[in-house]
Amino acid sequence: MAMPLMKTAMPRTVTCLLVLSSLLAVGAKPNATGSAKAARAAKRAGQQQPIKLPAAVLEEPSGPVMAVAPIDRGRRTQVEKAAEGIDSLLAKQWEKHQVSASTPLNDAQFVRRIYLEIAGRIPTFDETVRFLDSKSGTKRADLIDDLLESPDYVSHTYNFWADILRLAERPQKDVFFEPYLDWVKRSIAANRPFDEWVHEMLTADGKIWENPATGYQLRDKGMPLPYVDNTVRVFLGTQIGCAQCHDHPFDSWTQHQFYELAAFTSGTRMRLGGLPAKKSGMTREEMKQASKDAREKNAEAFRQIKEISQQAQEQIRAKKADNGLRLFINANLTSVSSQTGKLLLPHDYQYDDDKPLAAVSPKVLWGEVPTDAKSEDNRGQFAAWLTSRDNRQFARTIANRMWRKVMGVGFVEPVDDFREDNPASNPELLEHLADLVLALDFDLREFVRVLVSTSTYQRRAVLHDPTSPSPFHFTGPALRRLTAEQLWDSIIVLIAHNEWPFQRPTAEAFEKLADIDLTAAGTTYAKVEKAYETFSDTYNVNRYRARLQKQYGFQGQVLARASELPTPLPLGHFLRQFGQSDRESIEGGRTVATVPQILSMFNGTITHSMLVPGSVIHDEVMSHEPKAAVDVIFVAILSHRPSPEDRSFAIAEIRSADTPQAGVGNLIWALLNTREFIFIQ
Amino acid sequence: MTHHHWLDTFSRREAFGHVARATLGVGLLPAVSRQLEAAEGSGPKRAKNIIYLMMQGAMSHLDTFDPKPGREEQGETKTIQTKTPGIVFGQSLEKLASLSDRLAVVRSLSTETGAHEQGQYLMRTSYPMINSIRHPAFGSWAVHAMGKISKDLPSYVLVGNGNDHPGAGFLDPSLTPVPVADPMKGLENTKRPGYLSEENFDRRLALADRIDRDFKQRYAGRQLDAYNQLYKDAVRLMGSVDLKAFDIAQEKPAVRERYGDSKVGLGCLLARRLVESGVRCVEVEFGGWDMHRDVFEEMDEKGPQLDRAMGTLLEDLEQRGLLASTLVVLATEFGRTPRINENAGRDHHPGVFSCVLAGAGVQGGVVYGQSDEQGFRPEKDAVSVTDFNTTIAAACGLPYEKEFHAPNGRPFKIGGGGKPITGVLA
Repeated sequence: MAMPLMKTAMPRTVTCLLVLSSLLAVGAKPNATGSAKAARAAKRAGQQQPIKLPAAVLEEPSGPVMAVAPIDRGRRTQVEKAAEGIDSLLAKQWEKHQVSASTPLNDAQFVRRIYLEIAGRIPTFDETVRFLDSKSGTKRADLIDDLLESPDYVSHTYNFWADILRLAERPQKDVFFEPYLDWVKRSIAANRPFDEWVHEMLTADGKIWENPATGYQLRDKGMPLPYVDNTVRVFLGTQIGCAQCHDHPFDSWTQHQFYELAAFTSGTRMRLGGLPAKKSGMTREEMKQASKDAREKNAEAFRQIKEISQQAQEQIRAKKADNGLRLFINANLTSVSSQTGKLLLPHDYQYDDDKPLAAVSPKVLWGEVPTDAKSEDNRGQFAAWLTSRDNRQFARTIANRMWRKVMGVGFVEPVDDFREDNPASNPELLEHLADLVLALDFDLREFVRVLVSTSTYQRRAVLHDPTSPSPFHFTGPALRRLTAEQLWDSIIVLIAHNEWPFQRPTAEAFEKLADIDLTAAGTTYAKVEKAYETFSDTYNVNRYRARLQKQYGFQGQVLARASELPTPLPLGHFLRQFGQSDRESIEGGRTVATVPQILSMFNGTITHSMLVPGSVIHDEVMSHEPKAAVDVIFVAILSHRPSPEDRSFAIAEIRSADTPQAGVGNLIWALLNTREFIFIQ
Repeated sequence: MTHHHWLDTFSRREAFGHVARATLGVGLLPAVSRQLEAAEGSGPKRAKNIIYLMMQGAMSHLDTFDPKPGREEQGETKTIQTKTPGIVFGQSLEKLASLSDRLAVVRSLSTETGAHEQGQYLMRTSYPMINSIRHPAFGSWAVHAMGKISKDLPSYVLVGNGNDHPGAGFLDPSLTPVPVADPMKGLENTKRPGYLSEENFDRRLALADRIDRDFKQRYAGRQLDAYNQLYKDAVRLMGSVDLKAFDIAQEKPAVRERYGDSKVGLGCLLARRLVESGVRCVEVEFGGWDMHRDVFEEMDEKGPQLDRAMGTLLEDLEQRGLLASTLVVLATEFGRTPRINENAGRDHHPGVFSCVLAGAGVQGGVVYGQSDEQGFRPEKDAVSVTDFNTTIAAACGLPYEKEFHAPNGRPFKIGGGGKPITGVLA
């Protein structure tokens, strides 16, 4: 936790560093003067206890962190062939525009880049040395394959999708999204084909812990029209949102079309079946009738729920129970199911192609609902249309997205704004990539495998000017800053031997405590209250976060990979400062420079965590001869050995510092605060 | 990992920073200063500082500054008399009602978009959001034209969640607002750890710089420039004695209590401190106004927080003799539907909404423009977002009629080329 300004008490980091100094002195060379110096320093510091890193992060994990679907190593030749195909299309482009490709990456540059790209973090000292020293002719392809089946890949890819899908545990207080978040992570680990994965999200039914994929639909609970807008934006790269209120000002979508599309999904019920759900588009009379019907059908269950809810309200009002009880009950009344209903045009519909409050029939934006899906319900038809192999835009959108992920720039930018007056910068290559996605049956991991195997990807980064009138020719990937999560995860591996001290709750574990059947005969208020208390002990947001702090926190920072931390994180958290989104807007993550980021890196606790005994880099330096310290630090932080000039300079710096230990600390700090560290070249 | 916006591959603002300096910088500032000098000393006092309160999420106008008592649309929100005869506010704005003689309420604003991101962008920059250019926020313009006051403190500070803020756009990165996430915590990490002397801190910086040499040379350009610039800013800030301006714990508890402990309360208190210490422009973000559900319940919570914060801010500025030189703006991106939806909430409504001005350059006790009897559209004296922003520019004495050229050649004006509302200007 950042310290308040102008605090007069001695900051705790003083003690850390002084203790480090003395420990380093002991480890490096028994040095009477050094220890005496350190002892005097410790005395000045007031003899405080050394700060320890949490135990869970100090030891390497004992077993595999998670099961990940293996990569098919036998496909190596096909991957190379596909990569070559892309390279030759680009080479054509370069020749046409008289530009030349960027310099190929050397091994040190490659290892850093590929770890950041696939594993979401820098390689450790050992990983770097192993790679650099390997004499294998296939070491790059081997490393790519290894990384693609690692838990790191799952973690990093989770962050990618979390930003797009706005993943957070409680974006709406009365829906508990933990199971959904876990499901996204496991879908990545199982390498679910993208089209199947999306289809499931669009059609899932049930309570969220019974069927975690329902989380996608529940994310926009109560907002059926923005749901359509978001879905088309994310998966079809098309912005129709403006058309929700009027004909789109500068694209071709009309408000009528918007409503026709929304008619497929606006009927989705989100409250437990049998209960009257308030639905937009229903007239008052219709709602009354629906309520009456539902009530008659499930009279007993309805009565029971009403009774329990009322008792809960009374207890809450009497301050004998907290509001969380009401949310717990509502979460158990939340369940996604189909409902046949009509969507009506808004009361102020102004165009003359139809009347206000007229009912609209569902109709897709382009093409047709696939024949074999025509007998499904509305949601099924919509999902089938959207994810169909024949819906070219679906494949095209994801191809463009993944290309941008890897190369830094899409052919169409922004990636969710395909428009006639926003053409692709290289239509031929984009279509080629869409074809590849289809040929791979939407195996996105395999697609990424091909992209990172291209020689283009394995070139030094190139400056990209988004405002330049000439298109980007991908002579190399675009220079980018590390994302907030990449930066955090990289720093974590410099501190923690185990960056997986815990993982997010699984859907199964969550269901055990969250689920209670309010409609079942015999469910009483007392049972519900007890169930809530047990649930709350573990999963109440504040209690959960406090527990994490207690077990895995270091000076207010929970030391684990970003993918496992509950979101959104507080505004002042390192990850938020560096641009992690609040998960309220699609792709809210940013890499823009701000002063607080720099202050964090200069003076923040996370940087100083590195200098504490038990941290990875501290131990790494300690386990080598003192004269190797400079190289160790360069390799650990920047993934390359220093140039001869830099090595001499760094050694001179260490020698001229107050103590060698302070000099080492200076070097570590300096490397962390280079631009080279926070960018990917 | 992806980025939200292609222009964000690096800082959008730097895309133009370099070019901006060449095409705009040289000629721009001296001319603007001359105009300012000419304006000073004649006519009403213009703002020296700006405090901009941005109610993110679209603040309902019917429940705040433009209620329709007696109509079904009004719902559960009752109204209260203000100090201005014939004018009522929503029930949660008690304090502001008693201060209505300091306020200029514009009830006839309307805008083009009902989408939050686009609406906020338009409100802040006066231009619609498009791919090919990133416009500067008004604050960056104001600082660019009016210059710095404090030497070390940033001239533009953003309190609250500034993730989507346009920042300095194509202007120099030095005009980027410094974000302060939590007013309670102020600007964090500004102190070197105790064991590190200033000399050693400088050594470390020099070492980093040295190691970075090759990288900086190879990738010299806008992305790195932004970070280079901010490194300098950060170091200067660390050494500044004025840093305590960011620490609201320095205030007496009684003062804090008056503002209230809400995000907006503490944000306003911090804004006052910063303005006192020479920060030119402070923007306070206060979210949670997107009341699609249970608008009356939500208003019961948010309304009084805003009321207390802004009311106290005005009183406090006045007491300290700062109100005459500080422009206070209360803005939001659009309004909310008069019609109450089935979740007891109100939905987006760009058709008409309200914003408020107070302080320097502004006439108090004014209500400008009218919405129709429902609160659905402007009925009298319609005001566009650009009109509103041009009015702000006029209140600050900025050259709102001057045409500047973006690096792509397009012309633009501070305030977006609207007409200043003479009815609210002092």
